[in-house]
Amino acid sequence: MIEEQRDIALEVAGLTRIYGRLVAVDGVSFAMKRGEAFGFLGPNGAGKSTVVKMLTGLVTPTSGSIRVLGQPVGNLETRRRVGYLPELPTFHRWLKAGEFLTFHGQLYGLRGQALRRRCLEALALVGLDGRERQRLGTFSKGMLQRIGLAQALINQPELLILDELVSGLDPVGVRDMRELLRQLKTQGISIFLNSHQLADVEALCDRIAIINHGQILKIGTPASLFAGPITLEVRVSQASPDLLRLLRALAPRVELAAPDPASSQTCPQTLFVEVENEARAADIASAIHNSGARLYALAPRRNSLEQLFFQTIDAAHTAQAELHEQTNATVQSAGEVQPLQTNNTSQSTPEKNHLHISQAALGSREEN
Amino acid sequence: MGILLITRFTLLEALRRRLFLAVLSLSLLLLILYALFLHVLIANSNQPGSGNTFSAQFATLAAGMFISIPSIWMVYLLGGVMVIFLAAGMISSEVEAGTFAIIVPKPLRRFEIVLGKWLGYALILGGYLAFLYFAFLGVISWLTSYWPEHPWNALGTLELSVLALLGLTTLGSTLFPTLVNGAIMLILFISAPLTNFISTFLQLTSTSRIATLPPPSDTVQNIITVTNLILPSDALWHQTSYSLLPLDVLNLLGTQGFSAQSFNIPLLNPQAMTGSLFLWIICYCLAMPALATWRFSRRDL
Repeated sequence: MIEEQRDIALEVAGLTRIYGRLVAVDGVSFAMKRGEAFGFLGPNGAGKSTVVKMLTGLVTPTSGSIRVLGQPVGNLETRRRVGYLPELPTFHRWLKAGEFLTFHGQLYGLRGQALRRRCLEALALVGLDGRERQRLGTFSKGMLQRIGLAQALINQPELLILDELVSGLDPVGVRDMRELLRQLKTQGISIFLNSHQLADVEALCDRIAIINHGQILKIGTPASLFAGPITLEVRVSQASPDLLRLLRALAPRVELAAPDPASSQTCPQTLFVEVENEARAADIASAIHNSGARLYALAPRRNSLEQLFFQTIDAAHTAQAELHEQTNATVQSAGEVQPLQTNNTSQSTPEKNHLHISQAALGSREEN
Repeated sequence: MGILLITRFTLLEALRRRLFLAVLSLSLLLLILYALFLHVLIANSNQPGSGNTFSAQFATLAAGMFISIPSIWMVYLLGGVMVIFLAAGMISSEVEAGTFAIIVPKPLRRFEIVLGKWLGYALILGGYLAFLYFAFLGVISWLTSYWPEHPWNALGTLELSVLALLGLTTLGSTLFPTLVNGAIMLILFISAPLTNFISTFLQLTSTSRIATLPPPSDTVQNIITVTNLILPSDALWHQTSYSLLPLDVLNLLGTQGFSAQSFNIPLLNPQAMTGSLFLWIICYCLAMPALATWRFSRRDL
């Protein structure tokens, strides 16, 4: 048990934050292992930044618990080992880059030669070496993002919490940051990445959580999130009725792609065949061969994280809409039968009036 | 240690942003104009043939004594306005700008941030006030040879008035947005002298002789007391003016009916503080920053 605790960088249980009648974060629970890169995905207003603010002690949870590197959020010794870069950070622009890093290094308890060395190292890490005498007021948006990351790295953190790291960076900056994060990850630094940039999360993270309406909808490794039926794109010389019959015997779904209106050619034809797993692809190839058709191409169409993200969010929206309809129908029928109960409902506590979407309704699941 | 880091950072910010430098430069300009004005005033009152040398010197000394009160009142007002102007956004402006988002998660307690900033502003404003105080007294002494009997007592209460206002402004800064806090503090700061002016006006309209002015009504007195409890800066100013004038002069004023109770013009109301009020002010100066740290520790950012 203690060994397990030591392996955990972040442990969040039943985290809830309520602002008046708004449930910003609703019973979020997850654990992030040490050395792991953990992606936190969600649309605007999903509650991502509120979770990050609670992880860093900027916002107090209404209920639930957070343990950072095995300790409560307020523990000062633990804070020395955590680096944090907020979304669109604002700095004291009258400071020079070197002074800025020196100040933040001092806040971490660094002094003397070690502080000077770390300032120069952090500047070099984010590609700002030689800029220590430049005022932050003269920095571009991308440079400010880099210096922000430098202050988060100055203490050589064990856990790095990043909120929308690449916003404001140009393509070169994005590439450099991705490379730097990979490098930090190989050094064993745990990275919690809150991002809209699905490509960053997909490329870097060992596990991903998708959050919407303050609740985690899906959580797991990218591979497990993509587990499920695979769609094969098949190009054959001719999709005869015999071939289609053979394929339908092997696969639950077979669709013939619409012909390209710009092309007069009818050969080859494209089919989309959904199979349970990749091993089934060999059976599909054999069936095509046996039917006498020529096989030009057979490629699995993997879901991108972007597709998965939208599918998950759409599913949540649909579930929420259905729940609303059910609730309205129930309220209407109750109103018709027992009109006196309306007053009782209005006197109930705010917590009872919150619309809670059940995990089951949203299809939330932990994928391993 | 965190407190000192934040204090140093606050001092560096005040110097680097040149705001304080600008204020200091304008204050020096004001001081030069004041010295010129006083020089002309003294020169005009000491025209050749206007009297013998001894009485002329005595008149100059008396002029210096009485001019020290409005002069230091100006210092008090400038100090108060500077407190409100600089410290109204001590915490709120950083929250509004988002600069605390990378400082608060660092390994330091939130009370260290508030107290560090409070200490930084207290040093800046305390230094500024002391500089202005001695500069104005220096000019008066140079031109009239008048130097108060208890200059350090006067400075002490003047500094306490700044600390009282700074404490309340710090608390307001953890509760309200910068503009709202500034407006509230300004109204509170001017409310006590304003009440005194109104009180004096009412007294003057009720009699034709200044020396027989009736004491202010109970209602006015209660308003002044409540105002002093909410923000005791004005009470501290009256103690400052009390320390600036020689005791013999105060006794003489008392015999002529110019007692504290009967004449409430802020400029001419030297009034010693009671022990209980002084104790309240000390508690106030300590409690306000403490309340601010308590409030900020529980605030979401």
